[in-house]
Amino acid sequence: MSKLLETNGLTVTFGGLNANDNVDIGIEKGSFVGLIGPNGAGKTTFIDAITGFVPTSAGSVVFDGHDLSDLKPHQRAQLGLVRTFQSLELFEDLSVKDNLLVAAHQTTWYTLALDVFRIQQKSEEIEERIDWALEVAGLKGLEEELPTDLPHGQRKLVGVARALAAQPNLVLLDEPAAGLDTAESNALGGHLRGLLDHDVTVFLIDHDMGLVLSVCDFIYVMDFGKIIASGTPEEIRSNPEVIAAYLGEEAGEVQARSAEELRGMSDTAGE
Amino acid sequence: MELIFGLFAGLASGSVFALLGAGLVIAYRGSGVINFAHGSVAAYAAFTWDELRDMPGETGIGNEGGSIYLPWFDPIPEWGFLKALHINNLPVEIHIMTDPPAWLAMIITLAMSAFIGLLMHFLVFRPLRNSPMLAKVVGSVGIMLYLQAVALLNFGGSNRADDGFWVFNSTSEPIENFLGMDDKNLPRSTPYLALAAILIGALAWALYRYTRFGLATRAADENEKGATLLGYSPQFLAGLNWVISSVLAGLAGVIFLHKTMPNQLNLYVVSALAAALVGGLTSIPGAIVGGLGLGAFASMGVSATSYSWWPEWLPVDGVRAFAPVLVVILVLYFRGHKLPIRGTVGLGRQPRAPATKHPMIGVGVGVFIALLMSNIFISKWESTLTMTLVAILAMLSLVVLLGFLGQISLVQWTLAGVSSFVLIRLASDGLKVRPMDFFVVWGPGLPDPLAALGGVVAAVILGLLIGIPALRIRGVQLAVVTLAAIVAIEDLVMRNRPLMGTAAHTMNPTPKPEWFGQYVGALDEQSNQTDYWKYTVFSIIVVALAGIFVVNLRRGVIGRRFLAIRSNERAAAAAGVNVARTKMLGFGVSSFLAGLAGMLIAYKMPMVTSEFFSPFVGLAMIAFVYLGGITTVWGAVLGGMLVGGGLFSEFGALHFEGITQAYINAVGGIGLIANAILTSGEGISLTLTNQAKALIATMRGTTPKTDEQEELVVAEEANV
Repeated sequence: MSKLLETNGLTVTFGGLNANDNVDIGIEKGSFVGLIGPNGAGKTTFIDAITGFVPTSAGSVVFDGHDLSDLKPHQRAQLGLVRTFQSLELFEDLSVKDNLLVAAHQTTWYTLALDVFRIQQKSEEIEERIDWALEVAGLKGLEEELPTDLPHGQRKLVGVARALAAQPNLVLLDEPAAGLDTAESNALGGHLRGLLDHDVTVFLIDHDMGLVLSVCDFIYVMDFGKIIASGTPEEIRSNPEVIAAYLGEEAGEVQARSAEELRGMSDTAGE
Repeated sequence: MELIFGLFAGLASGSVFALLGAGLVIAYRGSGVINFAHGSVAAYAAFTWDELRDMPGETGIGNEGGSIYLPWFDPIPEWGFLKALHINNLPVEIHIMTDPPAWLAMIITLAMSAFIGLLMHFLVFRPLRNSPMLAKVVGSVGIMLYLQAVALLNFGGSNRADDGFWVFNSTSEPIENFLGMDDKNLPRSTPYLALAAILIGALAWALYRYTRFGLATRAADENEKGATLLGYSPQFLAGLNWVISSVLAGLAGVIFLHKTMPNQLNLYVVSALAAALVGGLTSIPGAIVGGLGLGAFASMGVSATSYSWWPEWLPVDGVRAFAPVLVVILVLYFRGHKLPIRGTVGLGRQPRAPATKHPMIGVGVGVFIALLMSNIFISKWESTLTMTLVAILAMLSLVVLLGFLGQISLVQWTLAGVSSFVLIRLASDGLKVRPMDFFVVWGPGLPDPLAALGGVVAAVILGLLIGIPALRIRGVQLAVVTLAAIVAIEDLVMRNRPLMGTAAHTMNPTPKPEWFGQYVGALDEQSNQTDYWKYTVFSIIVVALAGIFVVNLRRGVIGRRFLAIRSNERAAAAAGVNVARTKMLGFGVSSFLAGLAGMLIAYKMPMVTSEFFSPFVGLAMIAFVYLGGITTVWGAVLGGMLVGGGLFSEFGALHFEGITQAYINAVGGIGLIANAILTSGEGISLTLTNQAKALIATMRGTTPKTDEQEELVVAEEANV
């Protein structure tokens, strides 16, 4: 199988800090890949770098045979590399359906003329795609609502549906399950698996371990901007480094130690 | 030598830019608002000072002097039976004393400035604190319009010459042969002005640097929530900062009064903004240095025009006006992303922009009513009708750019002017248009649809050029650039003799326009009367087509993308929208519509002057379309009827004497502010539609019980 997305030595620097440090990943076409890591590991920065929202300081991103280095975010999206945002970033004044339509339409230089003379541009195909995106996100019947009138979980799903409406080859989902309850989260996982039947490759970022471990074929683990492990869910589950990074090295032990230190300090203060 | 003298002479105007700039910085740090009305506060203070010091009989206008005028007007006009009832009791004029001493007049003037600052805070910016940026900009533009109109009502529009205050006067002997330069006399007040700017700037800087109040303001500036948690009230701090800012404006207005007329101070806000931007909107010393530097730089440029190598096509006034624009654009372009975005708590939602569902019905009704009012049936309203149509067209251009795309550009009306001027220049052939014309305009004499096309294309090109900064900077900073651009275009393009022809800005007669053999001008050639019916029909067709154009734009793919960009540029890019190109498209479309409005004006007026396109007319257009509804075509229609010269206001002026342009602008300013606060900027048309919908729903009985009713039921049940 060919790699759909590849990063080679991708590095993002903020000031003196390497938010992403020499990251190499590869995502195969038709796969369901996950990226997990504790808060502040650099996951969102990684997505921003791939989609062109932050400048990279070194390394390259290759998508579907194109080197993305010189491409702007919208050009990357037009190639089929579409993302969602952790922080919603919806068009809040547009209805749910309009949110999707913005992503679904491609424009050319004469689109304005088509608009003005009311030449229908809503082909069957776009209608179908939007229908399907709403179906996957479970938003059927909410087409005319404003995102601001929906509960937080559903707003998150509008973001997912909008990404799907853009006819992606690869969709990067930045914590789509944050804010969803367990049942919603499970349902979303099921729907997302179904994307593979529609020629959509999925790259899922989340810190809900349960969701990622249950739906992904292959998982990368990031900590302090570096990939510290990769493998199938089973391998990740039993990888000691991952457990250390993710749960904190022997969490209980650390807690005990700090408690002891505190006690020591108060003792000295007492004397 | 010329240049060096120019540099020193420029410190005079530089000092007022510096003080006004420092005031802008203080207001921005205090409440996150860039106050476009800052120059108007200075102007009101200058008027107040002048009025207080006005000696009896000096001007011969019958002013007694020694009175102050509170910054409002009596809303009940004195006419008819109302006059007999004596119910107009709102105090406006208060007589202090005849011939008050200068120090007392100064204190009263500064108190008046402080009072205006407090009013601005409590009546406008405090209620708007959580509103979107557009609402805040519109609020301050509303104050600008209001203060200017009230100054006109209270002090009259007459030109005033004031000797000035203390050492800041025009009567002292000048410093002769300044710095050993022969025949170079520097006014004695100039070094005092520069000194005052530096001294006051240093005091203000120390106040914010070393006092507890200054620390708290800076804390609230960085993080409003954090400051609240520390026990400071950001709103109290904001109010205090508004007072300080306004007092500085008043001070600047008075000490500079001997050099200018109060009315001129309104537009000094452009240079003051440039100065404030040099200070990064946060640094008072930066603003002072920026202001003085800008004054010197502009004055040097003006001196340079006297050299033989200076190109003729760059007029003196153009250079003066272009200096701040250059500074604004350079600062914003190179440091725009570094300018602080003030840490305010979440901003409110943008006004909704619903698509019009059945435009043909509306257009049909509109065209029918317009035809009914035209000369074909009644003759009285023709001129007002066509003026309304022009305003509607100009406002449609604002609906596209401000309403749909969310780009706060104040320049569109000026672009209409450019289109008008270029059209006339292209259509002229060096012959007198009418026998009584004094001047002739030379030009290639293009036949008319081509000349009009040239005008519209010029407007579009200029509009796109102004749009370029919008790719890097957004929101209120764009408003600053476009305000600066207005002044520059007026002086650099419209009043540019080599470009537009001799006396073009005062007398610019329009050659006979013919479209495909049909005469479409407003001046009837046979009877020599204005308001020829063919022009009316032509305008109705153009405006109707433009209305349909905008409705369809909103309903189409591009319109949706405009709204997406207005809502969230990051998300739009992620959804595959080319933000840069789509924005430019918006600027182009909007400028195209403005250019069409310019064409209609050229055909309507016997001659076009640059006064017709003055910045304040443009700001009034924005005010009234915002009032009507900035996001809908109906808003533009309503706004066009409400604006001064439009059908509603002319109707008012005709039937109620005493309703003048100034009243209309004052009321417009108030309406603008009220609209921004009360309807979250959705305007009259959307508010009415919502009310109507709610009413229909109630009549059909489909509304659920209101909370109140439900509570009653619950209470009754509890009683049982």
